[in-house]
Amino acid sequence: MNWIGLNTLIKREVGRFFSVYRQTVLPGLISSGLYIVIFGFTLEQRISEIQGVPYTLFILPGLIMMNTLTNATANTSSSMLQMKLLQQLPDLLTAPLSGLEISLAYIIGGTVRGVVNGILVLILGVFLTDLTVADPLGTIVFIFLVSWAFASMGLILGQMAESWDQLAMMQNFFLTPLSFLGGIFYSIKMLPEWAQSLSFINPIYYMINGIRYTILGISDSSFSFSFWMALILTVLFTTIAILLMQSGKKIKQ
Amino acid sequence: MPIPAIQISGLTKSYGNVHALRGVDMTIKEGEFFGLLGPNGAGKTTMINIVTGLVFRDEGTTEVFGKDTVKDFRFTRSKIGIAAQELSVDWFFPIEKLLVFQAGYYGISESDAKPKIDDLFERLGLSKKRESRLRQLSGGMKRRFQLAKALVHDPDIIILDEPTAGIDVELRRNLWQYLRDLHSQGKTILLTTHYIEEAELLCENVAIIDEGEILKKGSPKDLTRELGTAGITVQLGNVRNGMESFLDGFTFTREENRFHFSVKDPDSAMPKIIEQLSKADVHIQSIESKVSSLEDVFLNLTGKGINE
Repeated sequence: MNWIGLNTLIKREVGRFFSVYRQTVLPGLISSGLYIVIFGFTLEQRISEIQGVPYTLFILPGLIMMNTLTNATANTSSSMLQMKLLQQLPDLLTAPLSGLEISLAYIIGGTVRGVVNGILVLILGVFLTDLTVADPLGTIVFIFLVSWAFASMGLILGQMAESWDQLAMMQNFFLTPLSFLGGIFYSIKMLPEWAQSLSFINPIYYMINGIRYTILGISDSSFSFSFWMALILTVLFTTIAILLMQSGKKIKQ
Repeated sequence: MPIPAIQISGLTKSYGNVHALRGVDMTIKEGEFFGLLGPNGAGKTTMINIVTGLVFRDEGTTEVFGKDTVKDFRFTRSKIGIAAQELSVDWFFPIEKLLVFQAGYYGISESDAKPKIDDLFERLGLSKKRESRLRQLSGGMKRRFQLAKALVHDPDIIILDEPTAGIDVELRRNLWQYLRDLHSQGKTILLTTHYIEEAELLCENVAIIDEGEILKKGSPKDLTRELGTAGITVQLGNVRNGMESFLDGFTFTREENRFHFSVKDPDSAMPKIIEQLSKADVHIQSIESKVSSLEDVFLNLTGKGINE
């Protein structure tokens, strides 16, 4: 194992997104703040409580999860595609780094961004509302797990994509709709039965309900099922990402 | 027999129906300055990319200091520093940081890399730019940075893919001098170029490659001697009957007092011609030789110029 190489690439990946924090950290924080203020405080007048929790608090875990998984995905996918398009990838592929080391470094970089964004929105929520986190350790573990899973997925997307357009398509047509349909702003129990059934095949539904349970102690799905789903996605995406990197598909000829 | 720095045997590579390499064999000895000479699309970059791990080979073997470049990639890649033809772009970090990262990929810690980075910046005239981003550098500076990146882990083999493409004459000459210095320190250098002058000036041995095949290998001097045709033209002040018998064994044409000799090696032929003409008791007014160049050799072998 090339530990110094792995550590260097992690530093590069983390340093990269911190160097452009106006693009990678602040937007999620601002948009989450706006969701809380506009959606939460205004709709709270109409929707007083869901499952015994004020509406503003109800949407907060979903916002944290959306911010976490979109940032984790965006970090690895955009960094990988950028390195491909700007001819930086040969620097890695000609160095004594294995596919395992390269993919792990990217995933860890994406995980750090997901965790940082998720925790910052959580802190913002604590400041803007009277939130008390039911299980702080469980929340952090869940944010970490989801960040890792979606950072791995982002790496797969970044390696397979050939243009920014393809990447944006994945983000806009799949990730964002699935996040919104996963129950950020509502309980699926408010939906007709057929729509509830559709939600059960949306993995992000389990991510949102898992973190809702660790923060508020309420959930549409069982917590253990959400946890196992997050764990399975993490293992699955990580394995695919590593194997894909080792295969050199789309990055070596 | 010492282990070669790079050994390539039976190497083939195709991209669909395009045969980029058709069974290439090549050996580069340790400490050798080797040139790979060929037009664009000849297969030079493909060959290098297979050795460095950027391209998968179809058939054949590629070894660096006796180790396979796929199975023992950590060893072989750590021995090589490559300055690629394509300049990479990075928007995020100053160039000093980029060199720290580059050294790190090769397992060198930041503190260990610092002295080497300082030395490279000094030697390549980039010291004042260490805090600059790549986009703020001129084209020539980017080339020098590319070289610094290849050298930061102090590799034994330096591969330079068209290192002087698109840079001005002065910088080209400075880079040549730097490459000579590196060679004198014992580094093995593999240079691809389509500048004939570059290969002639720097390389101890060259391989001429076209359409994925090595057409000829040898030192520039040997190749020009073997395949080039040089000429010696002598203008005589007077001629004498029967003087041509003194020139038996030479291939020449005559136009009144002007004799044109076709020779393989003008350096060794010229004294002999002068000696024989002196014996013939004729007065030599002027003598000039036209030395054959690698360009002639390339033309003879491929039937086209290198930039065609």
